[in-house]
Parts: sequence; structure tokens; C-alpha cells
Amino acid sequence: MTVVEAPPPLPIRDKTTRDRVDGGLSPMLTRLAAEQATGVLVREGGSLHLAGGLVLHAESRFAPGLGTLLTAHGALTAEEWWTAVGEAGDLAGTARLLLAGGHLTRAAVQICHLQTLYDAAYFALAPSSSPGRFHYGAVHVDTGEDAGSPLPAVPVADVEREVVRRRTLLHGLWPDALTDSEPLVRTHPIAAPALTPRQTAVLALVDGVRTAPDIAIAQGGRAFPTLVEVRRLAAAGLLAMPPAPPPPAAQPPGPPMGVPVAPPDDFDPHIALLKRVRDALEAL
Amino acid sequence: MPGIDECLLEAMRLPGARGAALVDWTSGLALGVVGEFPGGDHEAAAAEVAELARLAAEQPAFAPEGTADTGPADADPAIEDVIVSNRDGYHLLRFVPAPFDSGAVLHLWLGRPDGNLALARMRLGEMAGRLVLG
Repeated sequence: MTVVEAPPPLPIRDKTTRDRVDGGLSPMLTRLAAEQATGVLVREGGSLHLAGGLVLHAESRFAPGLGTLLTAHGALTAEEWWTAVGEAGDLAGTARLLLAGGHLTRAAVQICHLQTLYDAAYFALAPSSSPGRFHYGAVHVDTGEDAGSPLPAVPVADVEREVVRRRTLLHGLWPDALTDSEPLVRTHPIAAPALTPRQTAVLALVDGVRTAPDIAIAQGGRAFPTLVEVRRLAAAGLLAMPPAPPPPAAQPPGPPMGVPVAPPDDFDPHIALLKRVRDALEAL
Repeated sequence: MPGIDECLLEAMRLPGARGAALVDWTSGLALGVVGEFPGGDHEAAAAEVAELARLAAEQPAFAPEGTADTGPADADPAIEDVIVSNRDGYHLLRFVPAPFDSGAVLHLWLGRPDGNLALARMRLGEMAGRLVLG
């Protein structure tokens, strides 16, 4: 008999913080939204383009953008995309050209834009070690044809709440946020669970060098579903982060010739499992 | 060419339609919402729709025969729709086929007295097909 383990329920946005997410993401973003600032907020993980309290667009080097998503599986050829980018110069103009050329439906552009916006915002608003910077007025706002702008903008508060909700979702699957950004290696659990096709494809790209965002880019897919699958695979014991190398100063000289090198201590699947349990408990 | 909202408004013209939404089934984010939702909360409804859709999409038992193990990861889900009925209504979930990683599913809530499940299923299928593929 196969026991189907239902994944934990998807979290629902907390109603008590519906109006404002305080102290969580970026106090600067909260302030900029309150003053309806227009410009670009640049943080370590990415940037948000703001205008009048709305997020027009978000980008992050960790999240595949509109062009990657549309060209990876043949919705557009790379040539069609880059021709439109070259003619229009900005994202809204590019989308307008592609719509006018009949390459895509309006809904396809909207879905793709919203998905990439929230994906990039997740990384842009991730905890960072350096403060963000805001460039006032650096956004090109399309005033001439505003009603016809094909890309939907999202209120800042909605983006903040969704980022918090996604963090909660990922935390519920596997509470180690480093799986979002660190290189991943495969591990070999004693009783591996059955995999979904998406998980098989993610696991096939795990090579000890690629991080979760690298896998999403290699697949030409969205970043967030890959983060979800990586956390689920980590929870199932099928992948992990490689052990951190010791600091170079503390590294002992190489073993003398002829002395066998001991395998790393998480070579044993039992020890690897215990380490994962320890890491998970510490992360709680 | 129609956008998300136009498609949802079209779905709302079906007899008995109470609410329609376009939901990302991996995160539970509502990409578009029109009408009312059970319990009056479209965000909670979207998260629950996403859970059901994901469960259906990932169980090999529901995949067409011979594709359960071989389906490429970037392909659309092998299933077309999920139907849930209860005493006073129907819920239709229709996966949106797309030539990119869209993760989108259409959700339509129909009242039982006026709803025509067969008609709604057929029309929702057509709308989902047109939404991205044109």
C-alpha cells in the first residue's frame, strides 16, 4: 500500500496584519509606499520599480524574468523577444509591441508578468546584510497610454503580504532558508519517497554547484515552484547543502603520502539524516 | 485580445456562476478574482483551490495511462479539470494550457440551483484554451 502524504496546507495571509506588514520586510519600502514614492528600490537580492504606491515591476538575478520564461519553452523565439526589447527599450513597451504583433494574448502577458513580479519580489525583499537604496524618479512611467498599459501593477501592501505568506509556506515545508541560495547536492536516503515529474526534473539538475535559482533558470521555469520542490526534496532527505569547507587558516596540511583519507563523516546516510534533523531543529 | 479579467467576467456570465478566479496552483496566489467566494475570502479560497489542484496534478493515479512516469516537468499538468460538488454548489478547476511555465488554474464556483455543470465544464475548457494560446 502506498501512503500518500498530503503536503502541509498552504498558509493563508494573516488577517490581523492585512493592512500593514510591520517590522518584517523592509521599513524603507513601507515608508516609500506611504509617501507614494516613484523610483527604484535596489536591495541586495533584487529591485522593485515603484510608482504611486504600486509595484510596477520587480527584478532579481535569482528569478527568471519575463523574457526567459517566454522564450524557454517556445512561446516566443529569442529573436522575437530581443527585437521587441530593442525597439521598445522598456518592459511595458516591449509587452505592448508583442501584443500588437499578435505573438501573445493579453492574458499570457499578464500571467507571466505577475508571476515574475512576485518571484523577483520574494528575493528582492529577502533578509539582506546591506541596506537598500532608493533612486527617486528613475522609473519611466507610461503616462500617455496608462489605461492601455498591458502590465498590471500591484499595490505594495499586496506584494509585502504575499512575500510573507510565501516565506511561511516555504518554512512549513523545510525550515532552512539557505536552500534558497546555496549550492545543492544529492543525498541518498534509506527509504526514498516516490517523486513527482517536477521533482525528478529538479533532482536531475542538482550537481553540487547549482543553487535552486540556477535550477529554475536552467529549466526556463519560474523560481518559486523550484524553491518549493527543493524544500520538499530537502525534507524528504533527497538533497542537502554540501558541508561548509573549513576556513583556510584552520585547514590542516594534507595527509602524508600513503595514509588513507577518511571519508567525510556524513558519508553514512544515518549520520546525514541525523544532521538534517539537527539542522531542522536548530532552524525552528 | 482578452486579459485575465475579461476571461473571468466571461466565466461569470455562465448560468449560476457565483465567483471566478485565476489561481497559481504552486503558491496559492490569486492572479485575478471576480465575484464572491465561499466564506467571503478569496485569498483563502485561492489557497485551498491551489492545494486541491496540486494534489490532483501530482498523483500518478490521475495521469493518462503511460505518462505517469515520463511526463516532462515543464509540460502542462496531465489532467484537464477537477470537479467538486456539494449540497449547494459546484466547483470547477480547469488547468490553463500554456507554452510557458504558467502554473495557472481557472476556478469557477457555481450555485447548484441554476448551475449547469456540463455546459460550464465545456465553456470553461474553451476559455482556458483561449486564455493563453489565443
